[in-house]
Amino acid sequence: MEFNIDDLPVLFPYPRIYPETLDAGGNCVLEMPSGTGKTVTLLSLIVAYQQFYPSHRKLIYCSRTMSEIEKALVELHALMKFRTERLGYEEEFRGLGLTSRKNLCLHPSVKREKSGNVVDARCRSLTAGFVKEKKERGEDVEVCVYHDNLDLLEPHNLIPNGIWTLDGLLRHGEQHKQCPYFTARRMMQYCNVIIYSYHYLLDPKIADRVSKELSKDCIVVFDEAHNIDNVCIESLSTDITEDSLRRATRGAQNLENKINEMRDSDQQKLQDEYEKLVEGLRGADDGRQEDSFMANPTLPDDLIKEAVPGNIRKAEHFVAFLRRFIEYLKTRMKVRQVISETPPSFLAHLKEYTFIEKKPLGFCSERLTSLVRALELTNIEDYQPLQEVATFATLVATYEKGFLLILEPYESDTAEVPNPVLHFTCLDAAIAIKPVFDRFSSVVITSGTMSPLEMYPKMLNFPTVVQESYSMTLARRSFLPMIVTRGSDQASISTSFQVRNEPSVVRNYGSLLTEFAKITPDGMVVFFPSYLYMESIISMWQGMGILDEVWKYKLILVETPDAQETSLALETYRTACCNGRGAVLLCVARGKVSEGIDFDHQYGRTVLCIGVPFQYTESRILKARLEFLRETYRIRENDFLSFDAMRHAAQCLGRVLRGKDDYGLMVLADRRFARKRAQLPKWINQALLDADTNLSTDMAVSSARRFLRTMAQPFRAKDQEGISTWSMTDLRRHQEKMGEERIRELQAERDLEREHEAAAMAAQAAADGRESDYEMDEEDEAQLMALDIPS
Amino acid sequence: MSRKAPNGLRTAGTGAGNPSSSGLPIISSDDMCPVCKTIRYLNKDMEFLINPECYHTMCVNCVNRLFNDGPNQCPYAGCHRTLRRKGFRSAFFGDLSVEREVDIRRRVAAVFNQVEDDFETLRDYNNHLQTVEDLTFDLVSGAEPRRAAAEATLQRWEAEHKAEIERNRRAGREADEQSRRRLAAERDAARHRRAEAVREAEEEKMERERTREAELDSLAQGAEGGGVGGPQRVQLKRRGQAASRAVEAAVGAAVTTAADVGRLSIRGLKEKKRGPAAEGPYDPFGGMDFVPSRYQVRPGLAHPGIDKYRLDPGHVTGGYSFDEHTARAMFEAFAGLGVFIEDEKEVGIGLDAGEVATISAGISAVGDRMELD
Repeated sequence: MEFNIDDLPVLFPYPRIYPETLDAGGNCVLEMPSGTGKTVTLLSLIVAYQQFYPSHRKLIYCSRTMSEIEKALVELHALMKFRTERLGYEEEFRGLGLTSRKNLCLHPSVKREKSGNVVDARCRSLTAGFVKEKKERGEDVEVCVYHDNLDLLEPHNLIPNGIWTLDGLLRHGEQHKQCPYFTARRMMQYCNVIIYSYHYLLDPKIADRVSKELSKDCIVVFDEAHNIDNVCIESLSTDITEDSLRRATRGAQNLENKINEMRDSDQQKLQDEYEKLVEGLRGADDGRQEDSFMANPTLPDDLIKEAVPGNIRKAEHFVAFLRRFIEYLKTRMKVRQVISETPPSFLAHLKEYTFIEKKPLGFCSERLTSLVRALELTNIEDYQPLQEVATFATLVATYEKGFLLILEPYESDTAEVPNPVLHFTCLDAAIAIKPVFDRFSSVVITSGTMSPLEMYPKMLNFPTVVQESYSMTLARRSFLPMIVTRGSDQASISTSFQVRNEPSVVRNYGSLLTEFAKITPDGMVVFFPSYLYMESIISMWQGMGILDEVWKYKLILVETPDAQETSLALETYRTACCNGRGAVLLCVARGKVSEGIDFDHQYGRTVLCIGVPFQYTESRILKARLEFLRETYRIRENDFLSFDAMRHAAQCLGRVLRGKDDYGLMVLADRRFARKRAQLPKWINQALLDADTNLSTDMAVSSARRFLRTMAQPFRAKDQEGISTWSMTDLRRHQEKMGEERIRELQAERDLEREHEAAAMAAQAAADGRESDYEMDEEDEAQLMALDIPS
Repeated sequence: MSRKAPNGLRTAGTGAGNPSSSGLPIISSDDMCPVCKTIRYLNKDMEFLINPECYHTMCVNCVNRLFNDGPNQCPYAGCHRTLRRKGFRSAFFGDLSVEREVDIRRRVAAVFNQVEDDFETLRDYNNHLQTVEDLTFDLVSGAEPRRAAAEATLQRWEAEHKAEIERNRRAGREADEQSRRRLAAERDAARHRRAEAVREAEEEKMERERTREAELDSLAQGAEGGGVGGPQRVQLKRRGQAASRAVEAAVGAAVTTAADVGRLSIRGLKEKKRGPAAEGPYDPFGGMDFVPSRYQVRPGLAHPGIDKYRLDPGHVTGGYSFDEHTARAMFEAFAGLGVFIEDEKEVGIGLDAGEVATISAGISAVGDRMELD
């Protein structure tokens, strides 16, 4: 269907639209219920905008996981196909997805590697610039055919127009013998739409290389962005362990050997590098090279534009410098108590003991990159730990505020054997995302669960134009949120630390589980606040015989921290749901299942959230962050903790409802949820009746039974029409109504304006009058003067 | 003997840094004293010491045993240094070659203690850094002749630049002291704020408790209707007070940070030395000219009202120019035009910039606070 929004013709690929999907962008934060078509709305709007206005602003669409990227690409593909059909001609349009080398590699031996790091390193060793030079010189080196074939093509037309999903890209690459990864990387400048992961934009180590050439007027969309602050923080934090230091020492040793070799064989290259550093030249293309070893971890604004300091200019000096720094860190790691200190105090201590100044430390990663390039190292994965240390050095020397060093000598409080870890944590999410807001004029942050919305602008420190939470329009109550605060015996249930292991609480949770397992058709998902608690409560249930009871109705499957086990469990779960046996999946609110895995239709009819999923508050990193938030952004500890817990709870609840023809029960089982009701997203909160906020297990079960009975009635798609799905005529009507309202508003505005104008005119006139008083001509002047003189 | 020392040293250094190279199964140097072969199993709190003469490690017991009766030779085979008990200390670094390097660096840094401010261009500074680094390298790992040369350079420099070194040392110490004090102050402030926040939270909780009790009491006493409005109003008032206190604190913080910024010394390259600027002729008014901008006084202005005085001997005296009179009359007529007192009152030109800054800081703090509430 086709319609206009503010004179912008929008082509929508589906014949029906949901009424939520009417909005227009700026710097905005949007919350839309899951399954109402966020992705396709945003895409169709922005594509329409792109095609309608001649400026052709580029769209950067960031999502979280591979599967979400792929989903967005498929949506885009459908959209473009529809547009072509509708418009009758094919538009000049190119959309690409980008993911890691591991997923896009075609090289016969490299693609078989398991770890992403190894793939990256091997790929670099086959495709780096100097490898090609060597090949041209006639030396016998291994190269990648797929990559070299790219050079034979026109550099701006590596791939024909159209939308390329990741699979499509792979197939195209296989057919034409060209590397999909580098095709995507090089074509990014010529694309209309790019879809990739957050990290390509937020992590300064990657963003500098990948996203540097994107122009200022790009439209940036962060989808599934409820965790964006954590992504920002992770991208700037590093952890250093004793093992990584040991390997870094070995790396430094290797580097020294290489330098000595080089000095004997090819003095010139080292000399060249040295000269370049003396001049303070930074190779124009250094940062942008696709194959560079590592990029500077700091953000572009904080980069020091200066020549490298004199005392690390020479290669051997630099290696000694690194060695000293590593030894210092090793010594610090020997301390057996917890230390937390700010970067300035760390630097002061460092200077006192090793005479390393702040400035050369800041240049560390840049200098290492330059050295690695000069030495033409190929087995780069050996230097990974060294690179980590260099990254840490640069970060600690660059940022004074918003970071903290925490040394934890023991893994847990009870551990006897020390295993020291030096966390360098970023506390301020705004630091990493700032360049994105600075560079791009329109940024859209959106997710299904982002309540309360005002928290995000506050934490990320940016102003918003639009900040909207859309509610859901439903023809029937298709989901039933409930808050269960008491067990059947009227004892309150809670997972707060004091009572969580009391037998009565555990038994009440158990009976809740059994009751809902009895009445729920097909699949049921249960979320616990942590792995630890899940394990202890399961073992207690086993002892009480509750699991046996549940077993009669449903299969029981458990999520574990191991990814493979979990995926096996998920597969079994889906089979059980499909063949009618039904299953219960026990999982953790911050685990893999709670993010990104959908339980639509029969896969999830009930989601049971046992306990408020608070973070582990004894973690020192979390404590530091809470304190930072209080001091800088005036967000109180408890506010942040409960915000964070509720967004995870909402994320869990959202798993079950993935569209308007879906239905499901949402049960929040904790006494404390009753007070946190306002923090749920608007669309859930709206559906939550007052009567359902303080239930006991038996009441909850009876109302759930009633709900399921209504849901069992036949439901035709026609019933939804005009309420939760709109056809063209409905849309027209809505637009007319909106238009009328708009006109009325405008009229009111105009009236106001007119009044203002009148007032302004009067003021202007008065001012004019006053001004004219001061204008005198010569004659008056003379007259005045004449008066002055007594005659 | 002195020629042998670096050799012995090197073996010690590599021995500690790269234990596998010697081929012998070496128990980690952390666990066994190389002199008396005691292992940590036998002596739990064994501690190792080194002497910066030769950097050979030995345990505390050995040091006491060997050097209690005055200076003695190093017990390591082939090392003939004479060591004193006073020289022993525990090593900061695990790698003793780094320990030695840092000791040398300490010496070099004490002599070459110029900072960036002492140089005119960045390039000079970088070159200086590199020469110092080269010299340090010669001292640490250079062959004997280069080491001697470096030593000589170091001593010569020390002799030549004695005053400068002393001055820089003092400046450096002062800067260190200042930064330490600043850090301590920041830490104190943070601690203070934390305590404050805790106290506030506590108070609010108590307050809530109290109002709840009061409410219950009033309900119990059966006073209908009026019982509820009172406490709530009190709470609102209190909250307002708390907000205003927070604003005051914020303003105070803004002022102190502003003061800090003022005190902060911005370091960088030294001003380039320039020749004194060419001086023009001396101007007593400092460049101010007295040509009126709004009008122009023509010489010999003809006006019937004043022409008659021009020739009146009663008005013309010696040393008095009649044009002076017209000029003054014009000046008085125009003085004060273009000055609007009302406007100035509004803008507040009378305040100085500092006060304005404080006001705006206060306003912004209020804004923040209001958003929170």
